[in-house]
Amino acid sequence: LTTTTADSGELGSRPTDEPSGGKGLKIGALGMISSLVIGVASTAPAYSLVATLGFVVAIVGLQSASVMLLAFVPMLFIAAAYFYLNRADPDCGTTFTWVTRAMGPNTGWLAGWGILMTDLVVMPNLASIAGVYTFSLFGAHGIAADSSGFWVTFVGVAWIVVMTAICYIGIELSARTQMALLGAEVLILFAFSFVALVKIYAGHVAHSVRPSFEWLNPFKITSVGALSAGMLLAVFIYWGWDTAVTVNEEAKDTRRTPGRAALWSTIVLVLIYVVVTVAAQAFKGPGFLTSNNNIGDVLNALGTAVFGSPWNKLLIICVLTSASSSTQTTILPAARSSLSMAVHKALPRRFADIHPKYLSPGFSTLLFGAIAVVWYVALTLISPNDVLANSIEALGFGIAFYYGLTGFACVVYYRRHIFKSLKNFVFLGLAPLLGGVILAVLFVVAIFYYSDPVNSASGNQAWFPGIHFSFHIFHWHLYVKKGLGPPLVLGIGLLALGVPLMLIWKIRNSEFFKRHREVALSVDAPAPPLTPGVIPVTD
Amino acid sequence: MPGDIVLGYDGSAGSKAALRVAVSVAKAFDAPLAVVFGYEPNPMGGETADYMKQLAKIGSDHLAAAVMDAKALDPSVSVEPIVAPLRPVESLLEASLERHARVIVVGGNGERPIVGAILGSVPHKLLHSSTVPVLVVPAPAD
Repeated sequence: LTTTTADSGELGSRPTDEPSGGKGLKIGALGMISSLVIGVASTAPAYSLVATLGFVVAIVGLQSASVMLLAFVPMLFIAAAYFYLNRADPDCGTTFTWVTRAMGPNTGWLAGWGILMTDLVVMPNLASIAGVYTFSLFGAHGIAADSSGFWVTFVGVAWIVVMTAICYIGIELSARTQMALLGAEVLILFAFSFVALVKIYAGHVAHSVRPSFEWLNPFKITSVGALSAGMLLAVFIYWGWDTAVTVNEEAKDTRRTPGRAALWSTIVLVLIYVVVTVAAQAFKGPGFLTSNNNIGDVLNALGTAVFGSPWNKLLIICVLTSASSSTQTTILPAARSSLSMAVHKALPRRFADIHPKYLSPGFSTLLFGAIAVVWYVALTLISPNDVLANSIEALGFGIAFYYGLTGFACVVYYRRHIFKSLKNFVFLGLAPLLGGVILAVLFVVAIFYYSDPVNSASGNQAWFPGIHFSFHIFHWHLYVKKGLGPPLVLGIGLLALGVPLMLIWKIRNSEFFKRHREVALSVDAPAPPLTPGVIPVTD
Repeated sequence: MPGDIVLGYDGSAGSKAALRVAVSVAKAFDAPLAVVFGYEPNPMGGETADYMKQLAKIGSDHLAAAVMDAKALDPSVSVEPIVAPLRPVESLLEASLERHARVIVVGGNGERPIVGAILGSVPHKLLHSSTVPVLVVPAPAD
């Protein structure tokens, strides 16, 4: 392992002085369509719906479509922060790097930890949904019904192992295959909604409910706690959408493509989520989605009734391909975040190792996969039957934490430029700030909501029944009355675990923590390197 | 129009064997040799800029060694290193088009065919998509 100070070796540069006149090899050209595909595929609509829809309906009932719509607002605001911060520093550490610059190394380290923990928390959910849908595909519904049983867990572990290997070796689908799979996913979801709605209006479905525009009205939700918890769940369905905004920086026409790809992916996603949510809960009523048998795999439960056999298999396959791209877009960024943290000396140097043959962040990738397997099996043992509920409800805390920090970091980093123009004020100041504030409020209110274990889908499990306290803010009575629900312990606990780990690393190697806060010198120019010239490479 | 010899090089045993053959082919045709290292991280994983810089560093180290080895084999052959931010196959195809390449030389990786089919083998893909002849040099058996 050597550490080299080198400014040479910029990709695309030629070591010779031949007059290439910009006609060198094309540099990572991403067209508008591929940006769109990457953005939507990273969000994984089919999987996201399976993972969240039942739980959102359980909390807000018929208003779930409005919550799906509303959850997009903070994500949209935070996307502005992603866009501008990525422009200053397209480091693969993303939030870790940006928060470190704007708010200092301690907050930055915790932001990086937030990314890693959020990626870890989603893995059991991905794995068990992959397991359940694999067995459903082959008609083994008895095995599929036990989402934390031995066989589903076994296939789930195999899923994590295979996906980790794919990321480690660097196997990827061609852009065309990716596009075809995503196209199929989107088409099948719309076909599902269309067929369901046609059957409902034809009056052939028992227990169906006619859709109403009232479903899109969030003010029908009477409890602030339920609205917050519902939204915290629903932000997950847009998680990953920001790649449509950031990946565009490499696009051919940087001035036009980013806006268009982000705009179109937004339209596609919001339409899918609202239409599928409306169709799904109208088909057999919300009670069907929240029943114990169906809450964790609503599309599977409805697929047979809507499409009939064997067409329902299409829906199952599209959930599996969707979960596969979601698993990859979890492992890849997690490994790249820890790589970036190690490069900037916020983690041991091994995390920055790049595999000499496969050129992937080898150590980071394998370690993340291994921890994900251990964590998945442990969660299955600790909370049998509630792996899906606990992981998805805990996930929102992590997303709100590091997306929220990204919003605040944007405002702090660009503070000298916010009042220079109206555009700056809106995109560098107002939008990121509002996004951050909304996510922070959701985070805090959801703490109190989930502090009553009755509110989490796992029901009456209280993990620390001895804890109880209450207080008033304005006229709200906030209480922790029956111990802590599992989503709280998992969501907040894993984030909080970062503090002692950060202190241990600070004692072992304090170099990272000596850096100072930075402020943006310009909105357009790239920022100077966070850690100048240090590029660790494996021998 | 006589073109370059384009060599794919990643520091592996197969690519080192290919380098020796490529130098003698370049000498025989009196053509310049372009040594290409291409790699592109999966765009599905989001931002890559600083990761790409590290990859470029690895690539230019490999190519510096390749240029030295080529010069040692035959100092009369002109060698140009190219680090490309593209997948290996794409970078070789791009370089072969741009250089009007006579031939692309790559090393066989010594993998069994089924493994290559699953993992994606550069020589295999090149044979199917290249517009110029492809010369595959087997990795030395040891």
